[in-house]
Amino acid sequence: MVVATPRRLTLDDILVVDADVHVHETPDELAPYMDPEWRPAMENLRQVARRYLDMPGFGPNNAPRLPGTSLPSPRGGRVEIVWTAEQMRRELDEFSIDVGVIFPDHFLKLAALPNAAYATAITRAYHRWLKEKWLHAGNDLYATIMAIPQDPEESVREIERWADDERFVGIYLPTHQVYPIWGHRKYDPIYEVAQRHDLPVLLHAVSGIASGFPYNVEQFYTSITAHTVSHVFAMMSNLMSIMETGVPVRYPNLRIGFIEAGLTWVPFLRMRLDKEYNENRHQWPHFDDRPSRWIRKFYFGTQPVEEPENRQDLVDIIRIYDGEDTTVFATDWPHHDFDHPRAVFDLPVSNQVKRKLLGTNAMKLMPRIKVPAKYR
Amino acid sequence: MAEYVVARADELKPGDRKLVAVGRIQVVLFRVGDAYHALPNICPHQFGPICEGKITGAIMANADTGWEPGWFHDGEVLVCPWHGLEFRITTGQCLAYPNVRLRQYPVIVDGDDVKIAL
Repeated sequence: MVVATPRRLTLDDILVVDADVHVHETPDELAPYMDPEWRPAMENLRQVARRYLDMPGFGPNNAPRLPGTSLPSPRGGRVEIVWTAEQMRRELDEFSIDVGVIFPDHFLKLAALPNAAYATAITRAYHRWLKEKWLHAGNDLYATIMAIPQDPEESVREIERWADDERFVGIYLPTHQVYPIWGHRKYDPIYEVAQRHDLPVLLHAVSGIASGFPYNVEQFYTSITAHTVSHVFAMMSNLMSIMETGVPVRYPNLRIGFIEAGLTWVPFLRMRLDKEYNENRHQWPHFDDRPSRWIRKFYFGTQPVEEPENRQDLVDIIRIYDGEDTTVFATDWPHHDFDHPRAVFDLPVSNQVKRKLLGTNAMKLMPRIKVPAKYR
Repeated sequence: MAEYVVARADELKPGDRKLVAVGRIQVVLFRVGDAYHALPNICPHQFGPICEGKITGAIMANADTGWEPGWFHDGEVLVCPWHGLEFRITTGQCLAYPNVRLRQYPVIVDGDDVKIAL
C-alpha cells in the first residue's frame, strides 16, 4: 500500500501579498502625463542632478549631507530600480509573490516640496502614469493613491478621481518632512474620503532626514544610525499625532496601516502610552479605554522585518501587540533593505498564521485586491 | 453583612466627605447633592489613597459633543492624588477604563445616623 505523505507547505502553496513595492517615477516618465501648464517643470528638472531618491525639486532629501562622501556598500552595485510592470511582475514571481501594492520612489519625499500646486500637478501625473504603465489587466499589481499633504482639499479631489478604480487599493500618506504631522485636523477631509470609499490609509516611512524631524537624526553621519531609527521615529510621531486628535475614534471604520518601520516598536509604544494614559486621560478625552485598544486595530507592515537570533522572539513580539490578524508582509522591493518572503514564512508559527501574515491579513486591509487566478 | 454607624445625618454638607476606618478597612463616605456614597480608600491602579484626591468634574469628548472636549459630572468625579485616575463617585466607574469600577458600599440613613454595610 502506498501512503501519501503530506507535503510540507511552501511559499508557492500560499497567497503572498506584498504590501510595499516601489516603482521609479522620473521627470522624463511623468512629462507626457503632466497638465500642460506644468509640463515645463519636468523639462526644467533635466538640469537637476539625478541622484537616487535625492533629487531637489522632485524627491528632495534636504539633509545636510554631501553626495559622494559616504562609503559605498561592499555588496556592490545592484540597480535598485524597477522600470516596468513586466520587470516588476518577473521579479516578484522569482520571490513567489502573487500580488504587489505599488508605492513611489522619489515621491516618498513628496511632502518636502513647498509648492502645493506643483505637488498637486506631479501627483495627478503620477496617478495617470501608474494607471497606464503599471496596472495592466491580470498582472496582479495594485497601487496606492498618493495623498497631497500640502493641499488636503485638492488631495480629496484627486482621491475622488481614482476612488472608483478598483486597482487603487489604498491611500498613501507620505511621512518624510510632512508638516504638520498626520494627526492635524486639516487632514480630516482625507480621512473622511478614505473612510467613505473604504480605502485604507497607509503611512509610509523613508530614511530621508532633515533638521528637526525625525528628531536629532540629522546629527548622525552614518546611514546605519539614521536608518535604524528614522523610520521608527517618524511612525511613532505620526501614530501619536493620529491618536492625539482621535482619528481612530472619529473615523471608526477607517483602516490605518504603517509601512516600512518593522514591528518591534509597536509593543513599546502601546505599553508606554497606556502607562501615560493613567495620569493623562483628561488630555485625550476622546478615548474611553486604554489607547492600545485602538492601536490594536492598526495594521503594520513587516519590512524591515527584525531578525532576532531566536526567531521565536519576533513571534512573541507579534503576540504582545495582538498582531496575528494585523501584520502584513512587505518586501520594499527593489530597495536595498528588501525582505524575501522567507524571512516571514520561516517564523515558527502554524501554517494558518503563515497564511495570515503573508496574504490574508493584507486582503483584509485592502479588500479591493482580487484573489489571483491561481487560487480561485 | 454588618452595618456600621459612620456619621451623623447632619454632619456632611453636599460636597463633603469623611474617612472612616471599619476594622482594617478604610472607607470614605461622600455626600453628593443629597445622596451618600461610600467607596474604598484604595485606588485599583497602584493602591493610592484615592479618597484623599480632588473632587471635581471631568473633561470628556464623544460623538455627542462632536468630539470637542466638554466639562461633565461637575462635583461627582474623584481624582486619585497619586496618578490622577478619575472615578465617578456616584457609580464607582473609572473614566479611563470601562472594566474598572470601585466597589460601592451600601449607605443607609437611619434616623440621625448614617450607616454603611460591609
